[in-house]
Amino acid sequence: MGSTTGRKFSDIQSDVYDVVIVGGGVSGLTLAAALKASPYTSALKVALIEGMSLAPATKWDPSPDQLSNRVSSITPASQAFLQKIGVWDYVYPERVRQYDDMRVWDGVSGARIQFDSFQLDAAGAPMAYMTENLNLQQALLESLAEAPGDNQVKIFDSTKVEQITNSTDQLDDVDLSSWPAVKLSNGSTLRARLLIGADGVNSPVRSYAGIESRGWDYGQHGLVATLTMEWDDRQDIAWQRFLPTGPIALLPMPGGKASLVWSTTPKLAAHLKSLDPKAFCTLVNAAFRLELADLNYLYTRSDPEEIEAEFEWRDGMLPMEDEGAKFPVRVVEVQENTRASFPLRMRHCDSYVAPRVALVGDAAHTTHPLAGQGLNLGQGDVASLMSVIERAVVRGADIGDEVVLQEYWAERYPANHVMLGVVDKLQKLYCTDSKPVVALRSAGLEVVASMDWIKKLIMKQATGI
Amino acid sequence: MRPLLNNTRAIRHIRSYTYKTEPSKYPGHVPTNCLQKLFLAAGSGIYSFFNPRRGDLIATLGEATALPPLMYRLRDVMLSDPTGRRILRERPRITSKTLDIAALRKYPANTVGKVYSEWLDLEGVSPDTRAPVRYIDDAECAYVMQRYRECHDFYHAITGLPIIIEGEIALKMFEFANTLIPMTGIGAVLAPLRLKPKQRERLRTIYFPWAIKNGATAKPLINVYWEEVLDRDVQELRDELGIEKPPDLRQLRKLKISHL
Repeated sequence: MGSTTGRKFSDIQSDVYDVVIVGGGVSGLTLAAALKASPYTSALKVALIEGMSLAPATKWDPSPDQLSNRVSSITPASQAFLQKIGVWDYVYPERVRQYDDMRVWDGVSGARIQFDSFQLDAAGAPMAYMTENLNLQQALLESLAEAPGDNQVKIFDSTKVEQITNSTDQLDDVDLSSWPAVKLSNGSTLRARLLIGADGVNSPVRSYAGIESRGWDYGQHGLVATLTMEWDDRQDIAWQRFLPTGPIALLPMPGGKASLVWSTTPKLAAHLKSLDPKAFCTLVNAAFRLELADLNYLYTRSDPEEIEAEFEWRDGMLPMEDEGAKFPVRVVEVQENTRASFPLRMRHCDSYVAPRVALVGDAAHTTHPLAGQGLNLGQGDVASLMSVIERAVVRGADIGDEVVLQEYWAERYPANHVMLGVVDKLQKLYCTDSKPVVALRSAGLEVVASMDWIKKLIMKQATGI
Repeated sequence: MRPLLNNTRAIRHIRSYTYKTEPSKYPGHVPTNCLQKLFLAAGSGIYSFFNPRRGDLIATLGEATALPPLMYRLRDVMLSDPTGRRILRERPRITSKTLDIAALRKYPANTVGKVYSEWLDLEGVSPDTRAPVRYIDDAECAYVMQRYRECHDFYHAITGLPIIIEGEIALKMFEFANTLIPMTGIGAVLAPLRLKPKQRERLRTIYFPWAIKNGATAKPLINVYWEEVLDRDVQELRDELGIEKPPDLRQLRKLKISHL
């Protein structure tokens, strides 16, 4: 008996947790909230570590006319899960916009497909909820704060993970060797029965567990921005046009705003970020409305007045009846400091689990944003892992046991792999303007667009219900 | 006894294939469907093969065979260039009204305007001999075709190819390589069938190689705002566009040279 490190028993005990979650993003916080919401797991001792300060989320005081550029599309399945664990009630509803119609088209051939919830036999049911990640984070933190005092999740924010090693401690009659020991920048070391990696693409937890992550970079950057539309289009439509340089998507946000996700070449992304704000808006409009030849020409211009004049001329030639049906309302303003870009990549881990370790969200997989699935795959992971932990607790099994965790991996890996694969193939299929490929993909799209049962099937997969 | 064609539904059905057309998209537009274009192309093609002087028929052949993807391609070539865009935006027309031929005659030697006017006088033609576009179903593509047609005489002027049939064929091949307008290719391939073997040999060994090489490597001629380059030196413009002047066809004919 006794500690091999020579420290006192009580020191160690206070730093021993059932679950240590590394990462205070949406996935990590959702798992924490879910653990506290379930009657089976609410008694578990849970810690959450986040390198950045969580104050911006806890003290979030949003102004109605400002929107963060970090926005996510939440599928009905994810929303239902957040509802189930009691988090959705804390989300500011006035900062959520749902859409029930999605219009996607080929920028080269113009072939189109429209999804609307009428085809799901659920008129008016949302296809997704758009909201700022901060709105979700504050709701998750709020719900965590509601738990009874002695049972709260211990949150270490502004605290970095310095090192993860295998513990060599012995606690009472529990053998802590093989438990991960997480050394924090505040000096303490947490021992975890189950260590969760919700720490993003370059996950330190994954490195500790020695899990290989595979994939490739798309050679594209995702440019995001918060935009103001000419007027608030009461139709709740998500728009996406596939350009050969990458898809551009406009997602409706509350109050006549919209969130832009423009996947494009790194060079163009840099150009678009540095462009005069007015000219940037014009280029967004051009990217949805004009011919590729016009768009490619406008990319080479930087005089705002010239861009404006060229756009007005070409836009004026579009048929009136396409307005509001084939492309979105015009963008008139980009909110200051919301233009940002990040490299797009595909990554998938060989495994999500190791002894006493499980990975969720971006730590396990990263995908192209074209299907709006990034956050939702993470939510799916959390829901699956939760039910595995619940079952283990009910059966009295060790929640850190790899055999227990394998069940989570077995359930999520194939589902995620299919989604990553489909998104990856779509990306590759649409990032070309080769004539035969365009002809084939357009014919294919038109077949799909004319067959409601296929559309229903796709919608089912994409919404998760 | 029932009349043979009493079935009005059947008649309407047949009509829907033969007469049903879209509304007119620009002044002078004659909307046509695929079948009608096919007849137009066949009729004008056969007739102009035997009467190559019927410019109106060649124009009709050009319009009836103008496959939309190739016309949109040519339009996109214009949309990708500042001058091309300006031409599409301003849609200038070349006629004896918009172009003062008498003034061009007074231009210094070797300017585009002078060479063009000399060429008009030499060949005895006027810019007004060009028919308006009628059978192209997109207003902007119709203008592109109109512009090509009205600039055709400038192409003669800048290449120095004469309006005699051999020169016309060589220029057609050059235009096909440069614009991909189907009619120019059809003309360049089929028209030589009417020529003498010597003439065909001259085209094959001298003018077609020149036309394909220069047409494909030169800048798109459709993007030249001819009205604005009239006072420029013709050789300088040729260099800028990347065109070598072909051997003088009239000279070669005189000397009966069929290969170099």
